[in-house]
Amino acid sequence: MNCRQAQNLFGAYWDDELTQAEREWLEAHFAACAACRTAYEDLGRTLELVGGFPRADVAPDFAERALARARRAAAEPDRVPAVTPRWIPITATAALLAVLGTMVYQWIGFPQGPARRDAPIALDERIEQPVRISAGQVPPAAAVGSREGGSSGGAASGALVAAAGEIPDSLFDHAEDVEFILDAVTLRKGRAHTVVRAPQDQPRAQQAVITF
Amino acid sequence: MQAPLALDRETSPLPIVRLSDEDLMGGVAEGDERAFTELVRRYQGRVTNLVSRVLNDREASDDLAQEVFVRVHIHRRNYRRGSKFSTWLFTIAANLAKNEIRRRVRRRNWFSLDALQEMLSDSAIQLADPKEGQETALQRGQLQEAVGRAIAAVPEKYRVALVLRDIEGFAYEEIGQMLGIPGGTVRSRINRARGMLKRKLQPLLRKEGL
Repeated sequence: MNCRQAQNLFGAYWDDELTQAEREWLEAHFAACAACRTAYEDLGRTLELVGGFPRADVAPDFAERALARARRAAAEPDRVPAVTPRWIPITATAALLAVLGTMVYQWIGFPQGPARRDAPIALDERIEQPVRISAGQVPPAAAVGSREGGSSGGAASGALVAAAGEIPDSLFDHAEDVEFILDAVTLRKGRAHTVVRAPQDQPRAQQAVITF
Repeated sequence: MQAPLALDRETSPLPIVRLSDEDLMGGVAEGDERAFTELVRRYQGRVTNLVSRVLNDREASDDLAQEVFVRVHIHRRNYRRGSKFSTWLFTIAANLAKNEIRRRVRRRNWFSLDALQEMLSDSAIQLADPKEGQETALQRGQLQEAVGRAIAAVPEKYRVALVLRDIEGFAYEEIGQMLGIPGGTVRSRINRARGMLKRKLQPLLRKEGL
């Protein structure tokens, strides 16, 4: 250690806060260094002067005046700290919870019950259902017109009934299912790139088939 | 665990002068004026001395010390029972003293060094031992005047820590709590303040042969 390091310990030495090793080293340094010894003695005399500074006088009626002044201050509403009404934090907490609940509700989503999800969609009876008409068949409107005409009405209605039995549930002909084959794709930097050619020596990648 | 506070002072098993500061403060929080007066009596000297040494203004220090106790009374319900009363009290005192210094600096209404010198000289002569010779009393007065001026010349943030430590004798940890700064910062400020004081007073010490 040098003189600078020794001077850094002066305050702690005065306050008796040095470790035993630091104390022994500093006292050995004092024995060998007159400049540091003098500097520490100057500091000690300074602090003795400060510590021995005469204490300020206190007026004999100090306590009574302080009490009277405190009474006056208590009577002044602007000096008394305002008390926060209790309903403010309660209302603020309730509002915060409501906002949080709304945010969580929107984030998670409201789960639909199975009855609602699986319930069949009721068709409006007033909506006219589409009818598949094969080539050669008579349209219902024409059949009705011919029925109104009065000739061969019984034969036409029988043909319509037979044709109605062949009408499928939907407009799609399930006999001709459509298959969409999705080639493997890779994503690079957010853009889709179709893999043009798969390696020949490796088995072909799996294909995803979606059938309607 | 502190003993429960007896609210009725007349029937209290302990006389009011023997109650702890914290018990007295509990009484103050419930509106006991006797407890408040007792606390003022206990600390009026140290509080007045602190603000006097920080401000270096004897007349203003009485008013400011009064204000410290008024603040204690106003904020009596903010005092936490488990904490040390003196630390809370001197936190208020140090803050008020610092605010007063800043207010004076802002208003540029700081008293002149001549007025300070005269004031300190009067104070020192009054406080000197009357048995001493007049010459010795004057020398002592001049020395104390110089010390007061040297303390007043230390920047505020170092000065408050210095007065709390080297005049009021608080521990570093307590000073840290009062000023709201870590213990290492307290040590640093006090060491710097001591160095400033020593540099200012060194010529006088050599001259006086102290």
